[in-house]
Amino acid sequence: MKYVCQVCGYIYDEGKEGIPFADLPGDWRCPWCKASKDNFQPEAGGPAPRPVVTAAAPAPIGDAGSAMPKGWSAGQLAALCSNLARGCEKQYKGREQAWFQELADYFAAKAPAAADDSVERLAAELLTDVEQYPAVRRTADDAGDRGAARICVWGEKVTRMLASLVQRYRQEGEAMLEETDVWVCSVCGFVYIGEAPPERCPVCKVPDWKFDKIEGRSAQ
Amino acid sequence: MKKLAVRNLRLCTKDCLCLYVCPTGATDTEDSIIDETKCIGCGDCAAACPSGAISMVPQAYPPQQPKAEAVTAVLRALAQRKAEQEQLALHLAETAGRDGLSRLMRAAARSMRLVAEDILREAGFMLPQSGNTHRLLEQLTAAPPSPEFPLEAAKALLAALPDNDAPST
Repeated sequence: MKYVCQVCGYIYDEGKEGIPFADLPGDWRCPWCKASKDNFQPEAGGPAPRPVVTAAAPAPIGDAGSAMPKGWSAGQLAALCSNLARGCEKQYKGREQAWFQELADYFAAKAPAAADDSVERLAAELLTDVEQYPAVRRTADDAGDRGAARICVWGEKVTRMLASLVQRYRQEGEAMLEETDVWVCSVCGFVYIGEAPPERCPVCKVPDWKFDKIEGRSAQ
Repeated sequence: MKKLAVRNLRLCTKDCLCLYVCPTGATDTEDSIIDETKCIGCGDCAAACPSGAISMVPQAYPPQQPKAEAVTAVLRALAQRKAEQEQLALHLAETAGRDGLSRLMRAAARSMRLVAEDILREAGFMLPQSGNTHRLLEQLTAAPPSPEFPLEAAKALLAALPDNDAPST
């Protein structure tokens, strides 16, 4: 039997490894992306995959009492404008990049603070997203939209990894992050814990220099 | 389509073949940035560069790929979830008394922003020069959400960026 990492695609082949997947210790991790054991699923042909959850009907987007354009929240406009700033950067348009960044910073400052904030809540939100991605993917596939399908592949993997890290932090606490660094792939958002970033991003395959180290507060 | 040569300094290994082949001397500058007033877009430098550091960047971009409404609706809903989670992670980072949690939450916030950006690109905002971007900037300049809104930046963007999806007249 073979088991596939749902984050990076690494295949654990029981035949070659000699140890049944079920017998691996609970803290065993994917050798490529360090995702936890529960991110593995039997290769196609094994037990049926989990049923696809239907996407929740999209709620109207907007912040209560704000004057943002209809259908937009400040948080979403911040991401939109930083995205367009990056688009201008790729086109070597420095002036336009700076203007979009100015807009992005304005919207980020206007984004309402989270009401109920706890690591538990964040963990639950991430798991909800992991469940919803297949339905979004189906909508993209039905429309023949390869670009939208691609972000479902990347986004689901990045979200799975983050969900597994937040879950691990809840169990291990600070010990998990002592004497080690936190890295973020600046292209797809994949988060990695380790002394050095992976040679290639396991999700979007960019080289290690595209990873950014998250500095401790004392170094900021 | 008119193109200009642009050098990626991250990749440039100073093999200097671009200097040998450039017919106008546009690649020979003290700050390593190719002079766009001299570049004629011939592409000889990009073809000669052994480290692939020079690309020919178009001066105009094609219209965006159209997006189905069903797709943009689910993508925008997902982007909203990511935007809310970003705020949640940022707040957890600010209030974290411990360095590890603070770093993990700042990484999470950064990751969520990148995922939201990627989603919004595919939800009809791939290009800064798109009709969707233009219409949003027009809305914002017509009715700024608050007095601190950077109106001049928004106006400058509208003036500088063409609307590629506008019907040609």
